[in-house]
Parts: sequence; C-alpha cells; structure tokens
Amino acid sequence: MRSPVSTLSLSLIGLVALLVMPWLVTSEYYINIASQIAIAAILALSLNLLVGWGGMISLGHAAYLGVAAYLSIYLTTQAGFGHLTGALIAIGATTGLAMIFGYLALRASGLGFLMITLALGQILWGVAYRWSSLTGGDNGLGGLKRPHPFGLNLMDPTTFYYFVLVFLGIALLCMARFMQSGLGQSLQGTRDQPRRMHALGYNVWLIQWLSFVFAGFWGAVAGLLYAYYNQFVSPQALHLTTSAETLLMVIAGGTGTLLGPVVGAALVVILKNVVSAYITRWLILLGVIFVVIVLFMPEGLVPGARRVLRALKNSPHTDKDADVSSIVRDRTQ
Amino acid sequence: MTISALEVTGLYRYFGGLPAVRDVTMRIPAGERRLLLGPNGAGKTTFFNLIAGDYPPSQGEIRIFGQNVTRKSANQRTHLGMARTYQIITLFPKNTVLHNVVISLVGLRECRFNPWSDLRRQTALWDEARATLVLVGLEHLADQTVMETSYGERRRLEIAMALAQKPKLLLLDEPLAGLSADERQDVQRLLQSIPRDVTIVMIEHDMDVALAFADVITVMQHGQVVVEGSRADVVADPKTREVYLGQ
Repeated sequence: MRSPVSTLSLSLIGLVALLVMPWLVTSEYYINIASQIAIAAILALSLNLLVGWGGMISLGHAAYLGVAAYLSIYLTTQAGFGHLTGALIAIGATTGLAMIFGYLALRASGLGFLMITLALGQILWGVAYRWSSLTGGDNGLGGLKRPHPFGLNLMDPTTFYYFVLVFLGIALLCMARFMQSGLGQSLQGTRDQPRRMHALGYNVWLIQWLSFVFAGFWGAVAGLLYAYYNQFVSPQALHLTTSAETLLMVIAGGTGTLLGPVVGAALVVILKNVVSAYITRWLILLGVIFVVIVLFMPEGLVPGARRVLRALKNSPHTDKDADVSSIVRDRTQ
Repeated sequence: MTISALEVTGLYRYFGGLPAVRDVTMRIPAGERRLLLGPNGAGKTTFFNLIAGDYPPSQGEIRIFGQNVTRKSANQRTHLGMARTYQIITLFPKNTVLHNVVISLVGLRECRFNPWSDLRRQTALWDEARATLVLVGLEHLADQTVMETSYGERRRLEIAMALAQKPKLLLLDEPLAGLSADERQDVQRLLQSIPRDVTIVMIEHDMDVALAFADVITVMQHGQVVVEGSRADVVADPKTREVYLGQ
C-alpha cells in the first residue's frame, strides 16, 4: 500500500512542476501544448468517470466538447451575449444535452450503449457539418476573442495556461471527491454488480444517469476551454476520431484512476503535436505505443508504473502473487 | 386479520412458451420461517426472483406487508424492508469485507446520491458495518478483500449484507450450498440467531437442516405448489415422496 506521505509528496512535486513549468519552458509553443494537455485531461477525466468508474464505454464523448465550443462561440460572436453569459448558457445547455443523451443511451448497456453514444455523436457531427448557415459547415465558427476575467489577459499563453490549470485542479478535486462519495461508490458498485446493487436498494439507472450528466458537465467545461484556446471550432471537434482519441487517453493512462487520464492526455497530445512535426505517420507510432502499453501494462501507464516501481522496490524478494494483488488494489483506489 | 409479510396470488411466469411458475398462491404471516423445497427446475429460484423484483410476473399479484409491489422494481421493494441473498454468491470481490457491508448500508440511505461527501469520513456508517460483521462472526476479516476469504466466509458475508439492512422479509436462496460440515454449522447458527420478527423465506436442499429450521414448508414441482403444510404434514404426504423419489 502506498503511504499517505509518499502520495502527498508526489502530488506536491507534480503541482510544483506544473506551476513552475512556464519558467522552465520559455517557448510559447510548449506552454500552449501544456494548455492543450490540460484541456484534453479535463475531457479525459470526464470520460473516465463513465469508462473507469461506471464501466460504460462511450464513443460519443466529443459531443460535449464540440457542442459547448460551438455554443460559446456562436453566443458570443453572433448572438451578442457576453463571455460569462455565453459560457454559462453553453455549459448549462450542454449539460442538458447530456441529460437527454444519457436518457437515450442508458436504455442499453455494453455494446448497445457504445453504439448509441457513437450514433448520437455522429448525428451532432452531421448537423455541424451540414447546417452551414448556423455552424459554418466545414469552415467552422471563428472570431472568438478570449475573455479577460478579473482583468487577466488570457491572450498571453502563460496566463491562459494558469487559467486552464485552475480548471484542471478543480476537475481533479471534484473527481477525487466523487470517487469517494456515496454516488461515486454507488457508480463503481453498479459497474461491478448491477443486479446486486438493485437488490441492495440502489436505482442503478438513476445512478448511471446522474454520473453521465456529471461527466457531460465536465465535457462541457473542457469544450469551453477548447473554444477559448482555439478561438475557433469545426466539425472535427465533434468527430468520432476526437471521441476515440479521448477514449485512448483514458485507456492508455489507466481507467478508473485519477491520474491515468491526465497522463494519457499528455501522451496523445504530445504525440499529436510534437512528434507529428518530425514523423509524418505519427498515427502509426501512436498505434505502436498503444500496443506496447496493452502488452506490458494492460492496466494502463499509471497503475502499470506503480506496479513496476513496487516490484523494483521489493526486489529481490519480489512475490508474483503480491504483484497481482497490487494491480487489483491500484485499480480500486 | 393480521397483515401478511408476503402474499402472492395467482402468480405466473412464462419464458417464451415455457411456464416456469404456474398459478402460485401463497400467504406467509409475519415472523414465519418458510422453506421452499423441490427438485431442480421446480421453479423455486424463478419464484424468488419474481418476489425480489428481478423479473416481472406474466400474471398475478405480489404484496409485501400489504402493499402491492407487483409493478415495483427490485430496489423499491428493498426500501419496503425486503432483502435477499443469491444462490451464486454475488459480492464485490476487490473490496474489503467491511466495505461490502458499507455498500449494503448505503443502499438504503440518501447519501447514495451525494457526489461530494466522503464516505470514508462517515464513521457511524463504518461502525454499523463493523457491528454487523461482529454479528456474523466476520469482524476479524473486516479489512481483508473478499477474494482473500473462503467460500463459507463469503456465504456469511452475503447474509451479513442482507442483515445490515435490517430487513423485515429476508429471502435466502440456498444459503448452505457448497459449504463444508463446519461451515454449515456456522451458517446454521447464524440463521437461528436471526430475530423472530424477521420473516424468512428460504430455498434449501439440505433436508435435515431445512426441516429443522422451517415452520411451514412448501414443496414445488413444475412451477406449481404441490404440498404445503407443517413439517409433519409435508413429510407424511405421499406427494412429497412422489416429487423426490418419483414413486
């Protein structure tokens, strides 16, 4: 078992590293990459809520990112709303959409759930692509200027990075609390033994739906930040590849863990932005890395790294059985 | 007239064209220990699942403490004071024994919908779970994961999870199945210690144990009730021998 001291010290080191990063990496390019990672991490954390803790694999999670981004840009650039009002309406409406999508998707489970989320996501992508008068079609919507909350100049990459980092911190805090809350524990129970949970007095559908809506809310927050970062949105934000990439982040980092989606987001965003500058076929590299992860750390990078570190620490008295139980323990933490 | 703990009237359940439960009518007064007997395929577990709300009946009515629950879901029935165990042990194997009981307790509390309050800090909940484990003799295993426990201990944990909810009606589906002689005695003692105000309906194949436990016995075959009565009546009834020995 990890000691609370080591967990706390690791978290503090991580926090300090994130805070001092803009001073160490002075290039605006890399600071922007860090902002992208933070936004992707929020989206991945919200999907992890469904996949990792709820056992509900969704291929339509880009819907919340895209809808919130489209709404915030449309409301502020074309409908005449202010930034704050536009942001609140965008997040509220997207959460409302998650309520409807959750109602529809939770009529099925397993593969059926996956297919419904995929279909709903693709419907939205089709609407964004074809309804040119509203969405700009293939050209997308642009012209958004970043807001100036509390006098902060978000056009400055470093300020924007810290702005996004605050949201990532709040997201992590909320997810950590959720994981240990009554609803979070109930959700994990419905993942493992839905029939048993029913018999114990839990309304399985309602618990899954509430969690679905909570995940949609955080997807919307990621969408809003995505819109601020890019100042532009196109149908690509709603596309299946965006949903699949997010799912990849969650699986690669480690489902059902708090840090796994963040690490997964960093891996995918860095490969997508940095490595693609040097290797044209970067997707092949991403595929290879994913296969390697599945082969050597099937539980994901974060729980896998913990297992390896523990094995190294216990060496030469390494006990195979202890390793297996540690995998299980990691996934339940 | 006193209200029955469980009242079933004209209950049918078809799977496709196959009737698994046919025209079952039963009244179980509060506090009674009722035993369901019958060979494999007699429809006992299906009948259990109908009472518990896992399946909707094709026809008929189910009342728990006078309330019509025929169209109510399993979780709604649990909130009316019903708890059950499963023939195939259904626990949360990666969690600790104590955590399993906590999950059971949370099922009846409003905090199951709370996304913010930390369950680990609700000490009263954990204390109550520990007290339940003391009741079933599993307190020494509280912090072990379920996968580290024996089969018999898991059976007792199943019962502990049901008892934690302080049910008024308890459904036990073969609680002694697969246990060693010692483990059987442990579970038997546990069942005997359940207060008399809890109505128990039990499916069990171990005749010696079951007959000693039950007040009234219902024998089922082909989805129907064949014999019903006291231990002496049922043992003496030639239909019982016919069901079990094919005479």
